Amino acid sequence: MTRFRPAVRLLTLTILAAATTVGVKAAEPDSAEVAAKVDRAIHEGLLEAGVGVAPPTNDEDFLRRVALDLAGRIPTPDQVLAFTASDDPAKRVKVVERLLDSDEYARNWSRYWRDVIFSRATNQRARLVQPRFEQWMTEQLRENTSWDLVATELLTANGDVRENGRVALMYAHDGDASEIAAETSRIFLGIQLSCANCHDHPYDPWKREQFHQLAAYFPRVRVRPVVEDGRPRSFEVISFDRAVGGNRGRSFDFAQAAPLLVRRYDKNGDRKLSQDEMQGSPLQRLADRLFDRLDTDGDELVSVEELQAYEPPVNIAERTRTEHLMPNLENPAQPGTRIDPAFFVSTEAAARELSDADRRLVLAQQITEPENVWFARAYVNRMWAELVGEGFYAPVDDMGPNRSASFPAALDALSDGFTDSGYDVKWLFRTITRTEAYQRSLRTPEPGQTLPFASAVPSRLRADQVYDSLVQALGVQELTAGRPGGDRMMAYRGVAGPRAQFTQLFGFDPSADKSDVIGDVPQALFLMNSDFVNRAIRTNAPTRLGTLLYQYQDNAKAVEQLYLITLARKPTEKELRICLDHVESREHRGEAYEDLMWSLLNSTEFVSRR
Amino acid sequence: MTTSVHEDVTLSRRGHSRRRFLHHVGAASLAAGTLSFRDVLSLQAAELRKRGKSMILLWMQGAPSQFETFDPKPGTPEGGETRAIKTNVPGIEIAHDWTETAKVMDHVSLIRSMTNKEGNHQRASYQLHTGYVPSGSVKHPSLQANVAQQIADPTSDLPSVVSVGGGRRGGSAGAGFLGVDYEPFTVDQPGRLPANVKNPVRTDRFSGRRDLLGKLESEYATRGAADLVADSKKIYGKAADLVLSPEVKAFDISSESDNLQERYGDTDFGRGCLLARRLVETGVTCVEVRHGNWDTHFDNFERTAELNGVVDPAMATLVTDLSDRGLLDDTLVVWIGEFGRTPRINGRGGRDHFPRCFNAALAGCGVKGGQVVGSSTKNGSDVADRPVTVPDLFHSICHALDVDVNHENMSPLGRPMKIVEGGSVVEELFA
Repeated sequence: MTRFRPAVRLLTLTILAAATTVGVKAAEPDSAEVAAKVDRAIHEGLLEAGVGVAPPTNDEDFLRRVALDLAGRIPTPDQVLAFTASDDPAKRVKVVERLLDSDEYARNWSRYWRDVIFSRATNQRARLVQPRFEQWMTEQLRENTSWDLVATELLTANGDVRENGRVALMYAHDGDASEIAAETSRIFLGIQLSCANCHDHPYDPWKREQFHQLAAYFPRVRVRPVVEDGRPRSFEVISFDRAVGGNRGRSFDFAQAAPLLVRRYDKNGDRKLSQDEMQGSPLQRLADRLFDRLDTDGDELVSVEELQAYEPPVNIAERTRTEHLMPNLENPAQPGTRIDPAFFVSTEAAARELSDADRRLVLAQQITEPENVWFARAYVNRMWAELVGEGFYAPVDDMGPNRSASFPAALDALSDGFTDSGYDVKWLFRTITRTEAYQRSLRTPEPGQTLPFASAVPSRLRADQVYDSLVQALGVQELTAGRPGGDRMMAYRGVAGPRAQFTQLFGFDPSADKSDVIGDVPQALFLMNSDFVNRAIRTNAPTRLGTLLYQYQDNAKAVEQLYLITLARKPTEKELRICLDHVESREHRGEAYEDLMWSLLNSTEFVSRR
Repeated sequence: MTTSVHEDVTLSRRGHSRRRFLHHVGAASLAAGTLSFRDVLSLQAAELRKRGKSMILLWMQGAPSQFETFDPKPGTPEGGETRAIKTNVPGIEIAHDWTETAKVMDHVSLIRSMTNKEGNHQRASYQLHTGYVPSGSVKHPSLQANVAQQIADPTSDLPSVVSVGGGRRGGSAGAGFLGVDYEPFTVDQPGRLPANVKNPVRTDRFSGRRDLLGKLESEYATRGAADLVADSKKIYGKAADLVLSPEVKAFDISSESDNLQERYGDTDFGRGCLLARRLVETGVTCVEVRHGNWDTHFDNFERTAELNGVVDPAMATLVTDLSDRGLLDDTLVVWIGEFGRTPRINGRGGRDHFPRCFNAALAGCGVKGGQVVGSSTKNGSDVADRPVTVPDLFHSICHALDVDVNHENMSPLGRPMKIVEGGSVVEELFA
């Protein structure tokens, strides 16, 4: 009987994974060409439907949009003025490059992925790994690690959650095979498979068994406490390959270890182990319970061959189970049917009996290989929806296969380009921001307009984007600045730091349909009434607004500056008039401006992307 | 009529966006002079709200020991040192710390045969709040959100779901896919006004600011953000209602007599229960008051004594206070945690997780007091009689509140989901 040698296989796969990435990277597709192809596809579709496209956005709106999208904050007044004044025809492409090179870009998108993964966390202690995940993900984005490698790392990682951010996805679901499978499919393939957990998918051709075949890549993932000095200090994600003896939780391969074990514990030189000889060996517990099953020839001794032939019974107890069982719906008390890993997109079944490390690596390989179009498509659709405001598919993580995409040719062009680029994350940002579809202006949708992408769509900013924009507009370091006690807003239990508390209050699941994200009452109350906001806009103190009023005695100029600070644009004539009217109607100039800044910070525009 | 609106939603495979839905139906029905989606919901709610029912959930976070609360087993090795005391209902005995609740047992119905499978805190808390086990693909609405959607008064200045203690979204499920209207409004420090409800400027200036904001918003709306601006206007309207409403006083318990405050107890949970009474009195539909930590793996007896000392007077006073004010007939009080604790006392004097057999206590809103539903075996290791599952309990809660458990909401993936899946009403509770 040939046995699988995990170490060899692992090595092969690593080389394979590295080879595909490096190999493809050589011929990077041209961003401008792909962008043009995408625009042609969209344009043709809209033309056919008789929908006119909105004109290109102006420089102010473009800069705010792209700064929020890439760096996660609004541009400063100086940046706005310099950008609008520049007559460099390539300034839009150049500013994208500058933003992609910034640390803010890496942090912004790292936080985005943090929200994607943790908004659906079923392990509510998941927060423990967040700082490390953010740190790790930031590094990947800064280094521009290709998306297939990021996915591979997330799918294969083991380690301490306080040390290794790569374990985010495994830990977010406490090592639960079904949850990890559902999320893997949702995040990396844009396919919602979890309905198939209990029944065949109602709309798509996925069968219940296929869901469980995906879950069968993860039954050996375990999360367990890291205990130090008798106290739980952290948690770690580990591979649990064989439940044997005192060797709890460590990976253990009978076939490999059998000769060694027999040599080590055989005391009388008969090259077999008696039950007595097994005392004190890693096989002790097994021998105590199942000696008869090991000793197949009944000679009261266990040989190397007998050990190698031993098939551990499929364990019913969840803790020691190493194979995935599909629950028996008719009779939930039954252990269910053993299912072996197989990837539902390809027809090729994975080998049985793989170690945890191999299973997960094989899956990562199957998911990220260029033949699997869902991998690139899911990423492209998600990024496009985030940047353009609407996806080819909505929601972003539910693509089918029986759904139809809007403008499939455009999606294909981008997905092919992304695949050809070697899943180059920055390449995709570059390409999308270059499209006319991205650069359109806002407008009121034409009546009966059902197709997306004819104009820009305003959408709510993510919590971190609001936080960074607020901090920047107010000219403070952090939201705690100048706030001596008394404000309960920031006193939520169990979270540390003003940003974490703010994102708790303003956070939402970034995979949600954008049109469903609309804010809530506590958020409004924070911006309206919090001590923090109201202190930071006082004009009788050296706040940013106080300084501004001192610098700009002329009201029209002061209002213009205030708009640049908060909304990163100059006011329209009508807005200027409304503001000046307000200032004139108030006795106290300072109070009037406090009201103005309050209104701008509480405006829909401030918390949305235009 | 309850399902008709939602059946419309099912027709469209992509009709999972609320706003998109509002667009379609809203525009069509407005043109036809018929009611909008929101109007229909409001009408429905107003019609049901006339009965003015509400629920107070006393959530025992960490899973309370049934042996040290409502199912003591004195004289058995499993029962430990906990004694049983008589209540004002002959034949019903509870754990010795619960002296105040013993005096209102005639209002309370105990369930000693709750049974479930989920022994993980987070998952079980989610299940006991939503009726569903957690799933990455859908955020189920809490029962409170579902109840509020069905029977809350949409015109009220106060939020329809309030959660007291435990932090924002602290452990409990929120409104899930039902959206912001039913998201719990969280009170961190019961007794005081909630965060940022207090207006920092003069009222006239506050109104002035809102007028100015409205004028400036109209520019952005005409540029193409009309939908977002309209949503924001709605939310700011609600927030301002809360800020300016005299009813916001309900959050401040200082006007209550010292004597009553003392009876509830000088604890956050005591103040939370008093706040809960004030809120349901003012028209809030669902209030959850949380207390913990009941996760007594160590020193079970010392720690439950402390916890009991906080919860017993508050719960008993809440029942009496509601009853004195004639509110108990329309207010359902539910005491429960995520599961129970093991009969076996472990080496550290603690009890571990045990979902197989645990307790719930209900009072008010048609629940027949002074009775025990179901029983556990002699040593508490299993249900002896009348198992009650989570869906059974949820059915019963909905029954008490006149909420249709079969009402279906669309999940964002287009799957219709009933308020409660499976189970049936525990009829004995209402006999």
